[in-house]
Amino acid sequence: MNLGTRKLLDRSFTALGIGSIIIMGLALLVVLVPIVSNGIGALVFRETVEHRKLLLSEFHRGDAGDLEKELVISNGYRQKAFDILAAFDRELEQMEPERQEVYRESYEQVRTALRVLLGPLPGEELPELTRFRYGQTRWDKAEEKLHDLLYEQKWDYSNPDVIAKPNDVSRASIFAGTSLVRLFPYVEENIDRMMMPQWTIYWGFITDSSLDSHFFGGIWPEIQGTIFLAIGAMIFAFPLGVIAAIYFTEYAREGFLNSLLRSANSTLAGVPSIVFGLFGLAFFINTLHVSESKSVLAGSLTLAIMILPTIIRAAEEAILSVPKTYKEASLGLGSTKWNTIMTVILPAALPGILTGGVISLGRAAGETAPIIFTAAVSVGTAIGLGDVLSSPTPALSWNIYNLASEHEAAAQIRHVQYGMVLSLVMIVLLLNLSAVILRARISKKLKG
Amino acid sequence: MQNSSGMHENEAAKSGRSSVFVVSARKRKLQKISQKSGEGTLLLIASFVAIVVLFIFWFVARDAVPYFRLRGFQEFFTSSEWYPADEPPRFGALAIIYGSIMVTLGSALIAVPMGVIASICLSDILPFTVRQYVKPVIEMLAAIPSVAYGFFALVVFAPLLQNVGGPILMWTWWVIAAPVLLLAVIVASELLTAPIEKEPKKKVLHLVSALFLGSLALLFLYFVGRHLQGLVIMSGTNALNVSIILSFMALPTIVSVSEDALQAVGRELREGSYALGATRAETIIKTVLPAASSGILAAVILGIMRALGETMVVWMASGNSSHIPDPFFNYLESIRTLTATIAGDMGEADQVTGSARFHVLFAMGLLLLVVSFVSNFISERIVVRQRKVLSGQ
Repeated sequence: MNLGTRKLLDRSFTALGIGSIIIMGLALLVVLVPIVSNGIGALVFRETVEHRKLLLSEFHRGDAGDLEKELVISNGYRQKAFDILAAFDRELEQMEPERQEVYRESYEQVRTALRVLLGPLPGEELPELTRFRYGQTRWDKAEEKLHDLLYEQKWDYSNPDVIAKPNDVSRASIFAGTSLVRLFPYVEENIDRMMMPQWTIYWGFITDSSLDSHFFGGIWPEIQGTIFLAIGAMIFAFPLGVIAAIYFTEYAREGFLNSLLRSANSTLAGVPSIVFGLFGLAFFINTLHVSESKSVLAGSLTLAIMILPTIIRAAEEAILSVPKTYKEASLGLGSTKWNTIMTVILPAALPGILTGGVISLGRAAGETAPIIFTAAVSVGTAIGLGDVLSSPTPALSWNIYNLASEHEAAAQIRHVQYGMVLSLVMIVLLLNLSAVILRARISKKLKG
Repeated sequence: MQNSSGMHENEAAKSGRSSVFVVSARKRKLQKISQKSGEGTLLLIASFVAIVVLFIFWFVARDAVPYFRLRGFQEFFTSSEWYPADEPPRFGALAIIYGSIMVTLGSALIAVPMGVIASICLSDILPFTVRQYVKPVIEMLAAIPSVAYGFFALVVFAPLLQNVGGPILMWTWWVIAAPVLLLAVIVASELLTAPIEKEPKKKVLHLVSALFLGSLALLFLYFVGRHLQGLVIMSGTNALNVSIILSFMALPTIVSVSEDALQAVGRELREGSYALGATRAETIIKTVLPAASSGILAAVILGIMRALGETMVVWMASGNSSHIPDPFFNYLESIRTLTATIAGDMGEADQVTGSARFHVLFAMGLLLLVVSFVSNFISERIVVRQRKVLSGQ
């Protein structure tokens, strides 16, 4: 090959390498951007008057007087829409039966759409489920539901060779010539007066319990469960891991036993996370009976086993990176080996050890598979500190799965799911970030 | 000397006279005992990990064996009919095992080339300052919880794939294949004309063969691209989706472990190659990669294990349908994996503890455990051997 081609190949090789690194960066962006942008929407959004009503009656927050004034205005506008409905009710009564049949079904759809948008219609009983007692609490959802009120979705099955496509048909055209036709432009024009949207930061999303399986309220029980599980795992794994690391670095002699223990460590690191869940179920719950069934304790123990190898490795690396001269100086002054370890080596290795610990904490918080069978429940309230030994808890990681895949109305509560994912990712990434900062600060301190 | 002083101390102790030596002897003895016992305790705690590994094997196997005792081996490994709730139940896990293999292979196909090239780039090509910005990106990719990836795959990626999957595939094909084919055409036409000596004839032939091969490549690109664009993806939750997401989860492992392997190859080898006139790419491909190959292999095994053992992404975004796709390499169909089956079926099975339906999930867990143990063992042996070879030079 001539030199030109060789140079070209060399350049393209470099481009390939840089390209694949850029793809990795892009992948990170592609994953994080929708999570962050939609997740913030769970916290910062335009709340409607329904949301303020909900907060006052369910969480006893907000000013009752202000809300009363708002409701008077809002109800004034709503009443006109309800009047149109009532007028059409009377008109429907007087139609001949065939024409009634034509409108009946579509009219029911209109009523349903209006009920979804504004809450129970006048004269209707208060529904059992909280989710049906209020209209749309978020303005973005209200706009979607307004579209549902104005247009009927019809599926086009005329061509059997193509996948059917939905078609929007204006409801005003369906009811042309009746008194109901006035409703649609009226609602479209006055929707913001009926809903009174306002930008708000709903901190309750983090601090409230959920209401009616996450339709309303916040995710505090999940956040608390995640914190309990992660900290519980650390309580068991951190001391064990650090002591094991001390043994491996300071006491172990090369030999069969040592290499066996080391391969055990890397084997444990490679076990699939779901197998930890199986083990936790079979050992902690079915054999040791640490609790009746799932519990925070069983979950923490399972997670502790999972993060143990990471902690041992990080602590080992930290201890090994302490300069030999520290140790020799201490031994030379006549202190014992144990004393040297406790007073000289461990303090010097502390930043590294803590960094590893904090990163493992993040890993324990983010894992799902080990806690499915051992600790997590999908619905539940925040548990007290006294219940951690016996009761299961909701946790962020599990509930993200549960709300996204198994919730009966998963598509309606996307904002809650995004908010949960963002919270979990934030917890994990902030822990990682603080590990980095911690390392920098403590090592500065140690240097003096 | 020491012996005599020891005897002296002993005598002193026997006679009961108080002396500094007595105290120090006792103290030394005590110290020695406490040191030994302390060391023993430390060893005990350190061997806790080994005990845990044994326990994991024991307890997973203990619940897996009853399944094989009840139903035998044949059905599990040869049938692909998975109807655990039927009467009589059927536990054919072949399709599920195949699903696991499929997504693992698929993610390896994406992650291994990308990861190895990225690690080469990190260790040999990029300057140190840029490397400092790339490292956090890789760490963040590794730190994002698997359920967040699963959520992304299910809520963002699957609808995207379902609606505009064809165009996405086509553009990916063009972006990746076009430059590769262009290079291939240039190199091939040059190699073809290399034996010809006469100058004007060579140039003409070079041009002709380049044009001919180039138009062939263009046709190939176009037709494959058109085929990809025309593909109808019935469901976005399929093997392709999962493979892509898993590959990005396996990448950090592959990159960091193989970067270590590349760093372990000394400067001398690289400099020797440069001195012989090789370009950087030639040095890396012909010298550095062979020397680091076993370490990179270990990295690949570890990365693949991450993909095989991953639960949440496959559970949420693989479609969970237990059948072997038709044809068997069709990545656009929904599949089901071992991990997802364990996670998904336990909820119904654990009310009937003791049934085959409960124990079959442990049998799957045991299968995963054995595979991860074996591959971990292999990768560890490889790393140890490479270290020996490199330090032996």
